[in-house]
Amino acid sequence: MIKPAVTSLHQALRKSFQTLENNHKVWRSELEECSPLMVSLGNLAEQLRALSNVQMSGTPLRDFPDLENRLRFKLLQATDTVLTKLNERISSLQSIRDAISNQVTAVVQLYQQSADSLDLSAVTERSPTSPSVADMLEWLQDAERYYRKQFLRRKALLQMLRADDLSLLESAPNRWKSLDSPSEEEQITDTLCRVSFFMESQ
Amino acid sequence: VQSDLKIWTSIMKSSGVTGTSRKVKDNAARLEGFNAATSIVNLSSQSEQLLVDGSASASSPSSHGQTESLQEECRRLEDVVHKMVAVVTKMERLMTSQRGIRDLEEFQFGPEGRTSPLFHSWTAAETLLDGFRQELKLKQTILQEVAHTATPDLCMVYLSCWLHQPYIPDQNRLTLEALLLETGHRPL
Repeated sequence: MIKPAVTSLHQALRKSFQTLENNHKVWRSELEECSPLMVSLGNLAEQLRALSNVQMSGTPLRDFPDLENRLRFKLLQATDTVLTKLNERISSLQSIRDAISNQVTAVVQLYQQSADSLDLSAVTERSPTSPSVADMLEWLQDAERYYRKQFLRRKALLQMLRADDLSLLESAPNRWKSLDSPSEEEQITDTLCRVSFFMESQ
Repeated sequence: VQSDLKIWTSIMKSSGVTGTSRKVKDNAARLEGFNAATSIVNLSSQSEQLLVDGSASASSPSSHGQTESLQEECRRLEDVVHKMVAVVTKMERLMTSQRGIRDLEEFQFGPEGRTSPLFHSWTAAETLLDGFRQELKLKQTILQEVAHTATPDLCMVYLSCWLHQPYIPDQNRLTLEALLLETGHRPL
């Protein structure tokens, strides 16, 4: 017989995994939208670098009045626009992280409240279709930690970037890419696969 | 004065329409120009590499193919610039007629103008035209030079000039809107 405490815990777990699944997709698409922005940031940095390297007075462009300043202004403006867009994406990542964190905190709290009435076997018991409560809580916490860490790292990188710091801008696309963690990402996909039968059972 | 006003509005109307369609046309040309310019920069850096290597002689088929495609890209850029020339010429023709009207105004009412001014944005269109003229000159220079440039940095500067249009500032859009608003093409 399953106790009522376990049933409500199962319900909460189902809801959490549902949130995780939905947000997992949104997170990915948000990150996908970031990569072209990062590429154009790198391009703009490259163009700014070339502009600083070229001595206009020695080129066929020498006769154009104020060209260097005008072009630099345009490039900086474009950089600003890209940075603003990236910051918008980061805020979306933040709300995804919050949604997952809230859900996981809630389910862990529920477990702690009913921990006394649950014996060890109820928490560790598992079946072919349903993982144990202990395992599922652990997976949820792992996932939550992953999003928290990812968000912080990406936000920190973005906050460092300034339109007037060329070397940082140039290295930004690679650093952004180096934050990708396919193995941890895959773990979340694995988790969602492992709980798929559990989520279908009501 | 009534008929004067009528002629004026009709002229401004046509200028407004040309202004808008010019923008659209220009944008399309710009976009096209950007693609061509990008591949030119790529191509010229490739051909430069070939030169540096020294291994590929001018008669070898691969470098021959590159020269040909470089030629092709240049021709495409030239087309774009030709379209731009046509646009700027049209603008110039328009300006001439507007300047005529302005002179007429001055002749009729003196340098002070009439007590309730007919039109405020006299200089707006000229500002726009000046920008486009300078931009066109820049693009023509780039077109002449880009395929003969060996330094990658300078190639990159050409590309950014082509892309970011340094002589077309963002406030052009506002100036144009002000002009359209004053001539009644934009509802208040």
